[in-house]
Amino acid sequence: MTDMSKPMSPGRFALSEEMIQVFYRLLAAFLICAALTVLTESFFSLGNILNVLRQTSLLFFIAAGLTLVVLTGGLDLSIGANVAISACIAGTVIHQTGSPALGVLTGIGVGATVGLLNGLMVTVLRIPSFIATYGMLWVLHGVTYWYMAGETMHGFPAGFRQIGSGYFLGLPIPVYLMVGFLAIGSIFAQRTTWGQEIYAIGANPVAARLSGIPVASRLLLVYVVSGAMAGLASIIFLARLNSAEADIGETLTLPAIAAVLIGGTSLFGGLGTVFGTFVGALILTLVLNGMNLLSVSASWQPLVTGVIVILAVWLDMKTRHHAR
Amino acid sequence: MKRLAVIAATMLCSAALTSHAFADGETLAVFTKNQTNPYFQTVRVGADAAAKAMKAKTLHYIPTKPDSIPEQLSQIEDVIVKKPSAIVFIPVDYKAMVPGVEKINDAKIPVVNVTDRSAGGKFVAFVGADDYSLGLETARFMLKSLGGKGNVVIIEGVKGSLTSIDRVRGFNDALKENPGAKLLASQPGNYQRLQALQVMENLMQSNSKIDGVLAANDAMAIGAIEALEGANRKAAVIGVNGTKEAIDAIKSGKLLATGDYNGFVQGCLGMTIAIRSLRNEPVITEIVLKPTVISKENYQPYDVPLESRACPTWDEASKLNTK
Repeated sequence: MTDMSKPMSPGRFALSEEMIQVFYRLLAAFLICAALTVLTESFFSLGNILNVLRQTSLLFFIAAGLTLVVLTGGLDLSIGANVAISACIAGTVIHQTGSPALGVLTGIGVGATVGLLNGLMVTVLRIPSFIATYGMLWVLHGVTYWYMAGETMHGFPAGFRQIGSGYFLGLPIPVYLMVGFLAIGSIFAQRTTWGQEIYAIGANPVAARLSGIPVASRLLLVYVVSGAMAGLASIIFLARLNSAEADIGETLTLPAIAAVLIGGTSLFGGLGTVFGTFVGALILTLVLNGMNLLSVSASWQPLVTGVIVILAVWLDMKTRHHAR
Repeated sequence: MKRLAVIAATMLCSAALTSHAFADGETLAVFTKNQTNPYFQTVRVGADAAAKAMKAKTLHYIPTKPDSIPEQLSQIEDVIVKKPSAIVFIPVDYKAMVPGVEKINDAKIPVVNVTDRSAGGKFVAFVGADDYSLGLETARFMLKSLGGKGNVVIIEGVKGSLTSIDRVRGFNDALKENPGAKLLASQPGNYQRLQALQVMENLMQSNSKIDGVLAANDAMAIGAIEALEGANRKAAVIGVNGTKEAIDAIKSGKLLATGDYNGFVQGCLGMTIAIRSLRNEPVITEIVLKPTVISKENYQPYDVPLESRACPTWDEASKLNTK
C-alpha cells in the first residue's frame, strides 16, 4: 500500500505511512528501555521513569514548535537563544513585579515576538529561514549578553517554581504540560485544515500557493508558534533551575533539531509528526539517562549521541517505502 | 526595568564595544574569553579598578561568540592597528592563540598573560590561579566536613578543557587521600547548570545515598543543589569560582564551599603589572595565587558588590604568591 509520488496533501493514506514510522520509533524507544532495564537495576523504577519524562518535557516543548517549522521545509536556529532571552526578561519581570503570572505571559510573549520577527523575515523579506533564524540567533545573543552583563539572576518565588519542579497527583507538572501540548499539537497538525495546509506547503510550496493556500500567513503562524514554545520552555527552565543566565539555552538548539530528526520529520518538509518528535526527545533523553546510570565515561557520551542520531535518520530512510 | 525599556525600543541593537579614541597617556586593551561566564566579568571589573586607580584607560575585547578562536585572532589584528600601550591577555585557547600572541610580540606591544597560561609567546608576566590546587583544596575541605568518608560524585566541566581536567584531577587526588570516601560516578555537566541538574537527577536514581558532590564550577554546583532539593535530599556540595550566587548559596546554607578563583584580584594584578612595566617600575613576573576556599566561616569579605571591592596594594600583591 504505497504511493510512489509525494502526496500533495496527506490524507489517511500518508497518515498510515506516518503511523508505521512512529511505530518503528516507539519500538526503538522500547528496545532502549528493555536494554537499560537489563543493564541497570535503577532504570526501571517509578522514580526514574518520572525523572526521564520530566527531562524529556524540556526538550519536547522546544522541539514541538520546531517540528511545525520543519514540516514547512524551514528551520529555526534561533530557538536556544530565544529561550535565553525570554528567560532573562521573564525573570526580570518576576523579580520586579513579584507576579509569576506576569512572568509567564512575558516569557511566552517575548518568545512569540521573536518568532514573529523570524516569520516576517521569511515571508516579507523572503530570506531563507536557515539564514534569517541564524542571524536572529546572533542578534538575540548580543542583546542577552549585554542585558545580563555577565551576571546571573537567581531566586524565584516557591509558587512559581512549582511549574518546573512541582507534582500533581504524583506526576511532575511539566509532564502534564507535555501531554497537553502533545495532544494539541497532534490534533492541530493531523485534524485541522490549517495543519494539513502546513503539510501541503512543506510537500510542495508552489502547488500549495496555486491551490489557494495562504502560504505567507501559514508560515508566519509556524514561526510564531515555534517562538512561543521556546518562550514556554524558558518559563519551565526558569522554574526548574531557579535562575536565568545569558547562555541558558546555548546547548538546546542542536538536541531539539536532533529530536525532530530522530522523530522522523524530514528536513525537506511535508513529512513527520509531533508525536514522532516526542518519541525522538524521549529517545535522546533515555540515552543520556542510561549513560549516567551506567557511568559511561564523559568522553564517550557525545559520540554515542551522535551515532544514535545518524543511525535513526538512516533507518528512517531505509524504512520509508518511497524514495525522497 | 529601565533596561527592559531599552530592549523593547531597540530589539536590534547589539552589544557594541565602546571604543575611545586613543588619547595621550596609557590605554590598555583587555582580552577576555566571553561575556557569559561571570568569572570573566570579575576579571574585567578588577582590571578596570586597577586602571582607574593608576589613571589609565581600558578597552575591552570580548568575542561575541563565546571562546571563539578566530574571533579573538581578528580582535588581536584589530588591536595591533590601534596600538594600545599594553595588553592584558586571557587566551580563549591556551594553544591555539600562540600565533596571535606572537603577532602582538612582533608589534612590540608589551603583554601580560592572565588566568590561562599561554603555551607560547613572550609575556611581561603571568598572573593566574592553579586549578589543580583549587580543586584539591576545595575537595579536601568537603571531605573533612564529611569526616573523610561517604559516597561522592564528581560533575565534570567541558571535557578536554584545561580547567576541568586540572580541577577534576585535584578532586580525585583529594579522594585518594581519604580511603573511607567512595567515588560513585564522575559524569559530564559541561559547565552547564541544566546538564548538571539532570546528571544529578539521574545519579540520584541509581544511588540512594550520596553524601557529597564535587562540581567543577559554581553553576553546576547550584544545578546539583536544585536537583537535590527537588528530591528532598541533602548532600554536601562544593563548586569552584566564587561567584556571587555561590556566596549567596553559602550564606543560606545550601552550598558548603566554593574554591575562589579570584578573578577580581587576577584582573587587578594583571593590569597593575602591565602599567608598572610601562612606567619602568619593578614587577613580579609570575604570580600564582594561593587557593582560597570560601565557606560559612570566611565569606563576608566576598559578600560585597564587585564594584566596591578594592584592589590589593602592591605590597599585599607580592605576598599573595604561592611560588
